[in-house]
Amino acid sequence: MTNIVMGYKQSTVPHKLVIVSGISLLVFIILPFTINSFQLSLMSKLLLFGTLGVSLDLVWGFTGILSFAHGVFFTLGGYASAYYLKLNLSAASNTYGGELPDFMVWNGLEKLPWFIAPLKYFPVALVATIAVPALFAYIIGYFIFRSKVSGVYITIITIAISSALTTFFVSQQAYTGGTNGITDVSSLRLFGVQLTALGLYFLILAYAAFVIALSWSLTQSNFGLILRSINENEQRISFLGYDVAQFKIFIWTLSAAIAGMAGGLFVPLNRFISPVYLAVAFGTQVVIWVAIGGRGTLVGPLIAAILLGQVQNYAEKVTQDWQLVVGILLLVVVLFLPNGLMSLLPKRASLKNLSKPKPLPVTVLTKK
Amino acid sequence: MLDYTFPTLFSTPHVLIAQEAAASNEGFDILTLLNQALNGIGIVGILLLTGLGLAITFGVMRIINLAHGEFIMLGAYVTFVFQDAFDLDLLMTIPLAFLITAFIGAVVEITIIRRLYGHPLETLLATWGLSIVLQGVVKLIFTAQLKYVKAPAYLSGNLPLVSDDSGAAVVAISYYRLFIVGVALALLGLTLYLFYGTSWGRQIRAVTQNRDMAKCLGVNTKLVDMGTFAYGCGLAGVAGSVISALKSVAPPMGQDYLVDAWMVVVTGGVDKLIGILAGSLLIGEANAIIAFMLNDPLARVIVLGAVIILIRYRPEGLFTVQKRV
Repeated sequence: MTNIVMGYKQSTVPHKLVIVSGISLLVFIILPFTINSFQLSLMSKLLLFGTLGVSLDLVWGFTGILSFAHGVFFTLGGYASAYYLKLNLSAASNTYGGELPDFMVWNGLEKLPWFIAPLKYFPVALVATIAVPALFAYIIGYFIFRSKVSGVYITIITIAISSALTTFFVSQQAYTGGTNGITDVSSLRLFGVQLTALGLYFLILAYAAFVIALSWSLTQSNFGLILRSINENEQRISFLGYDVAQFKIFIWTLSAAIAGMAGGLFVPLNRFISPVYLAVAFGTQVVIWVAIGGRGTLVGPLIAAILLGQVQNYAEKVTQDWQLVVGILLLVVVLFLPNGLMSLLPKRASLKNLSKPKPLPVTVLTKK
Repeated sequence: MLDYTFPTLFSTPHVLIAQEAAASNEGFDILTLLNQALNGIGIVGILLLTGLGLAITFGVMRIINLAHGEFIMLGAYVTFVFQDAFDLDLLMTIPLAFLITAFIGAVVEITIIRRLYGHPLETLLATWGLSIVLQGVVKLIFTAQLKYVKAPAYLSGNLPLVSDDSGAAVVAISYYRLFIVGVALALLGLTLYLFYGTSWGRQIRAVTQNRDMAKCLGVNTKLVDMGTFAYGCGLAGVAGSVISALKSVAPPMGQDYLVDAWMVVVTGGVDKLIGILAGSLLIGEANAIIAFMLNDPLARVIVLGAVIILIRYRPEGLFTVQKRV
């Protein structure tokens, strides 16, 4: 991979990074053959949550926009994929035999609503899984970044969006299944083949690896440099002639698309989607993964999601109060480890350090 | 962490009854509308109470306090404990709720908030962590079971305003809601007096405007910060204590009030305390009137949407004079 900086080619992938990521990918490939089926589905879920964390890291860690609405993008993608899976139930497993999903029958709908009907077809559903959250994010992003709304207020707006959308989805029972959401969906079939749990795991792993690679190369590029500069001094970057809002809207929309696809993959795994994942509480959990893992590290959120998920898994067997553990951990990290768990790694081993582009020669900057 | 509760602040029985009445009457009914507007007054009182504490911690001190809902919850539990153990009247428990939550607030300020001044996003995260911890601790002590608090007998019943020919009240407001509005207005008055009429208030305003200069002039900024934060938390405690009789008391209850408190503060404008009154009036009444025309959840969605649009165009809130930087 090369990075073209103002006409100068510059190699930016250190060998160490290639080795480390190769080994970790290998570990994740071997992992499913060593664990039981419960752990397999748990790990698939945590990989998806980690990917969601990576998508938030792009906007929060690199650009400095703290969003509590990433659960919303995740869930919007999830609903798109849930409609597809629900509409493709075989007539035998569909309670009412017909075309209409059960919750619509219960709520007295007689025809499939026009905006849900096209989701029966795989290509439409696949595009919708990415496009619906991205479009929603674009509208919000255009709305808030093109104005003088500043840091904390953006966060408050995302909380309000999450809260309003939850209420909306719960109230539109006929279309969304209300509080229960969409349950009993069919399993995912790709090219006429039923996906097994193992297949789904590899699909998710591939997606997670793709997202990390994409985010990494994005943040290493000039584009990523501008994002980081926006985080550090927004005003100066806009004085240099960059349209800051445009960059923010782009990364915000991209991040929502990534989150939406993660939600889309979550449904065949989880077998249902509900407004729980829209609510502020879930959006906060995503923030917690990024905060604990380390902002701007990309792999930090993934590691934190897996670690916390496993802690929760084992703590749940002992006590109901695993949330308390997470709360204390969050407090400790914020107060004593402001850069997250990744900052515990020795400096030389830190991926963030490895991936930092070398300072450009002064001549490059002064040319032109 | 995924405990999901439907926001229940606005779905009060009164609203539902009014809706049924509206549905059965088929069409515009001025009496139902009046009832709804009065019911809106009750919501205004609750919003004012819950927003006031936040107006101090965020509006004055600029601390993003996401644990505000948990201080409301603590106030409700204080009332529950004293009513359960000592059979105290609800009115008697209000000062106790204030003192105890203010004390906890002071401890939190010393141990957590003090280290984070000037880092708004870190404060936000830390207070969210705090809210999880407070919920967890309360759940450990009291279990997750719902608790109930009794309103005093002399505050039950309705104040009839309009009655029909047979003498049955058609338009009425419950005494307890009037009581909530009264407490909220009294606290707002007290806070205004404290901030603009005492030397302590002058010190607070001095510290928030220019911390270093205030320090140079001999103001004990650490003490002022601690006192102000504790006062804001104490107000949340009072809110919780008063609300506890309306709803069941449970560890996650604070979450219901957090978003609404934030919306009130943001709408009203963060610089002027009096903006809180305007913000809660606007949100409470808009909610009641839209709920009359459409339905409850949609009203909430519309009001939240309107607030989001408002933040877009006037981040300082409706009632703040725009300043030049």
